[in-house]
Amino acid sequence: MTIFKTFLKILNKNKGIVILYSIILIFFAGFNLQTNDNTMQFEKEKPSIFIINHDPENTFTKEFVTYLKNNSEVVELEETKEAISDALFYRSVNTIIIIPESFGENFRNQKNPEIEIKCTGTYESELTKMMIARYFNVAKVFFSISSTEENFDKIKEIVEKEMKIEMTSKLNTQELKRVANYYNFANYSILAGCVYVICLILSSFKKENIKKRTIISSINEKNYNRILLIANSLFAMLLWFFYCFISFFLIGDIMFTKQGVGCMINSFVFTFCAVTISFFISNVLTNKNAINGVVNVLALGSSFLCGAFVPTELLPESVQKIAHFFPSYYFINNNEKITSLENWSLTNLTPILTNLMILLGFSFIFILFNNFLSKKRRKSS
Amino acid sequence: MINMFFHNLKYTFKIIFKSKSLIFWTFAFPIILGTMFSFAFSDIEKKEQFEIIDIAVVNNPLKENEIWNTFLKELSKENENQILNIQYTDLKQATEWLEQEKISGILNLDSEEVLIVKKNGINETILKFAMEEMKQTETLLKTIIESPEEKQMLFQQNRNKLFENIEKIRQETTNSIKDISTNNMSYTMIEYYTLIAMTCLYGGLLGMIALQKDLANMGSVGKRSSISPTTKKTMILSSMVASYIIQIIGISLLFFYTIFILQVDYGNHFFLVILLTIIGCLTGLALGIFLASALKASENTKTGILLAVTMFGCFLSGMMGITMKYVVDKNIPFLNQINPANLITDGFYALYYYDTTERFYKNVVSLILITILLIGTSIIFLRRQTYDNL
Repeated sequence: MTIFKTFLKILNKNKGIVILYSIILIFFAGFNLQTNDNTMQFEKEKPSIFIINHDPENTFTKEFVTYLKNNSEVVELEETKEAISDALFYRSVNTIIIIPESFGENFRNQKNPEIEIKCTGTYESELTKMMIARYFNVAKVFFSISSTEENFDKIKEIVEKEMKIEMTSKLNTQELKRVANYYNFANYSILAGCVYVICLILSSFKKENIKKRTIISSINEKNYNRILLIANSLFAMLLWFFYCFISFFLIGDIMFTKQGVGCMINSFVFTFCAVTISFFISNVLTNKNAINGVVNVLALGSSFLCGAFVPTELLPESVQKIAHFFPSYYFINNNEKITSLENWSLTNLTPILTNLMILLGFSFIFILFNNFLSKKRRKSS
Repeated sequence: MINMFFHNLKYTFKIIFKSKSLIFWTFAFPIILGTMFSFAFSDIEKKEQFEIIDIAVVNNPLKENEIWNTFLKELSKENENQILNIQYTDLKQATEWLEQEKISGILNLDSEEVLIVKKNGINETILKFAMEEMKQTETLLKTIIESPEEKQMLFQQNRNKLFENIEKIRQETTNSIKDISTNNMSYTMIEYYTLIAMTCLYGGLLGMIALQKDLANMGSVGKRSSISPTTKKTMILSSMVASYIIQIIGISLLFFYTIFILQVDYGNHFFLVILLTIIGCLTGLALGIFLASALKASENTKTGILLAVTMFGCFLSGMMGITMKYVVDKNIPFLNQINPANLITDGFYALYYYDTTERFYKNVVSLILITILLIGTSIIFLRRQTYDNL
């Protein structure tokens, strides 16, 4: 109890920085979720375009522009060269379509006029190219037969023909992706929060005088370590609770589904693992000033390597292989698996349970290391 | 006086190089962060690009549906325009593959053509697009054949010939779309530019620490320096020169690392890149001097404020998400015009992406003005600073 009380006293003394750090990390996660909607969503049905029309009066051009507007998202931009170029570079627009003067007239007279495009080279701009080509194809066939106004209706009828689609998954993939993104980011928030705060608190326990007094006391080494682990775990669980609590507000109702609960359980296990990692680091670190550097390198490093910031499938294969050495990989991999799981049978759950076991395995190894190191230190002092 | 200048210069070098945390934040941290960027972003643009999609075709009446077959063959032909990789199988096998995500979709050509997909996604969207194109061409053929107009004779009544003609038109259409895009479209470069900006501004830490030791109110060394016969001007100038030299060494290391190891592209204007870096470092130094002289707080608080200002500036210029820079540039341009981190980032961006150097020089001039303002204000704070007691 004495140890636990001391822990609370130190926590209380550092409450300012602890609260600030925790809020910043949770704020980062929330902010990341909001901006991710713009940058990482690949599910846009319609590509975003901008049209510079030098032939606005012609009927054919008008029809073509209407078709483009119906099938894509036309972004509003200032018509300056700089604004347009910037929008293209930052992927706000994927394709800029420049319609030259007398384009419609030349097209109807089968003079094969050229249309200029500037694009980002992404799949969205490929879609736009296909879309333009599709319209031209159909229009050319009709105009090669006749150049009557009736053609416009026929063209319209054909280019608007849709394919019948059946979707096998009943999951709300878009929303579940948000759940996965938020909990993947927890790798940074929870890891950085735990390592920073726990190392900060434990550094007080490791002060020369206090350490010597603890050593000569009657308390058993393992017991001492266990109480500290429990006390620190309590703080970590509080951090985890807040993180989960906020997810209900940021992500919404989908958190009440099996997948949402699955991600919370997964992050709980990871939080425990993060506590053991923090213990290990605090045992290795002797300099209090180094905590900040280690936190940044460790939390940022594992987040970048294991796919907390950038989806794992976009990481190079070599990086993905290295990531297997970090507990974060199994945590993030589990988030992805849980949010795409439809049939909750034991066979399908096995890989998820295996990842959880690996996380616990990591925790066990860190606890062993921790006991070994602290015993060694005690003997040497 | 010159002797004292070099004496102080030497000791400033020693003080800075002995501070491990200072060396970590200004030398090692940017390199570590850059390495992480390269881990995370090296493949992101490649994978964002178009890839061949695996699909299964079931209930394929090979002989009956010649239009679809010809199209499918065309789309899966191994050339640069290949879109699909097709496997012909039965529905049961295909559903299994779809469940295991070995394929992106199933095209069921039973009575009515149906595309079965598992979820929403890039491949699924492209697939839908390609299939619609086939369906539309099929309708196009039917419309022409069924049309009573004699003009369809142009295509001759032979159905195959008609199809060939449509294919010919399709080829021509591809030629009528002229792609005039520039090559330098890699937006992840912005991340590395913010890294350089961060390092330039973190350099302010060096200036700050070097200046602290010359200020009487910041510690015993400062007190002793103040009562020495050397002028304050000489002391501060030599401290700043030492910090600036160390800053330039640090940033040069980062440049070598990003250019030769991480393969970052800074455009073709080598000297302008150097010019921007030199000025950026000077702005960082000026920021450090300004905060050290203007704030009456402890060393830790000053360091914290400098780190926070720098990180916030980098955040607005796109370090934590490239979209942020664009959003701020578009909606609150003033904020980014006075943000040194963005001016440095934007300067590199202008050199990389734009053909003209107008935007680049605008950024450079703004940086110079900010630097002059910061140094000018610092001089006002520092001059005639005397104490009766401390």
